[in-house]
Amino acid sequence: MMRDLTAEEIERYADGELDAGAVAEADAHLRECARCAGAVLSVMQMKSAIRAMPRFTPPPALRARVLARPARSARGAWWLGAAAAVALVFAGAGLLRFREATAAQLVDLHTTILASANPVDVLSTDRHTVKPWFEGKLPFAVDVPDLAQPFHLIGGRVIYWHGQPGGYLLIAKGAHRISLFVFAEDAVPRAIASRAGMTIAVWRTRGLAYVAVADVPAEDLEPLRRAFVRD
Amino acid sequence: MTQDLADPRSAFEELALPLFEPLYNYARWLTRDPIEAEDLVQETYLKGVRGFGSFAPGTNFRAWMYRILRNTFLTSRSGLRATPPLSIDEDPDQFEQISVSETPESLFLARADREALGRAIESLPLPFREVLVLADVENMSYREIAETLAIPVGTVTSRLIRARQKVRNTLRGER
Repeated sequence: MMRDLTAEEIERYADGELDAGAVAEADAHLRECARCAGAVLSVMQMKSAIRAMPRFTPPPALRARVLARPARSARGAWWLGAAAAVALVFAGAGLLRFREATAAQLVDLHTTILASANPVDVLSTDRHTVKPWFEGKLPFAVDVPDLAQPFHLIGGRVIYWHGQPGGYLLIAKGAHRISLFVFAEDAVPRAIASRAGMTIAVWRTRGLAYVAVADVPAEDLEPLRRAFVRD
Repeated sequence: MTQDLADPRSAFEELALPLFEPLYNYARWLTRDPIEAEDLVQETYLKGVRGFGSFAPGTNFRAWMYRILRNTFLTSRSGLRATPPLSIDEDPDQFEQISVSETPESLFLARADREALGRAIESLPLPFREVLVLADVENMSYREIAETLAIPVGTVTSRLIRARQKVRNTLRGER
């Protein structure tokens, strides 16, 4: 494509809203045109800066109020049997809070590790280096399979979560970074909530629980699951 | 949760509770006030519960809840103040030349700029602020934003362009 991208095309490109044909054309142009590439970069930088801003979190009392109020008013058929409903809702909310707290901790761990100057203690793309590195450091063996494209092993480290030691593998998928936590199976709760914008996947196999945290869609992690779980 | 999904109350809870934090976040961006945001979220859930019968299963529940929250905000006192009296989508040529005048810049990379970025978004007029927040904070597609705000996709695009341009201008003015 010889002509410059329009303002709309630049925005749609950065937002992933162009169809595949238009993306290919735009890519061809962006390779040659520094001005348009700069404009796209500018939008993408703003997007990632906004995504990195801390989110506003609701005060804990608000959830209770939101859940309790319809029950208290108990008008009409909706909230009949209010007592049973309240009990159920609070049981549900407790479980949900637990799942969300777990998810928040894992996402925090992921973010903290990625933000640190030395995210991994063993920096190696070679699984035959990383796997033995864990030996003697964990009460279980961390199996590091051969990763196929587009996944690349960056390295690993030992982490602690709720007082339990775990393995940590940092894996790249293009520009995305995937944290893969490896724990003894019973160290990880059954259900973990999802977080806006983050995928948290839990895979269990042979007494271990693998928890992947990444800003990619869940289906993109499926090949990784197959590599680790091999069922 | 173990409730029966055929029960509308459980179905509502199951769908609506995971949206609690995102809805509060959106409410904060709309109201720019923690207390008002709390009231707004609370009222949204109340209206959601009561109006759940009118939600068409299989359609976008997230957009439905966001729409309730936004409509509730627009009819509140500060929402009425925030609504511009005139159409803001009428100058289609205004951003035509933006694309080529941009230079790559690392405006947004420094951590210290985060606060400035937050302030710049907060200072946007509501129609621009909400599309930017839905697109870049809540990761909605243009179509989902269009559905939430009940505006055409083309309008979403043009407002987004202008929202980002305004944020850039504000940040440049600050340095």
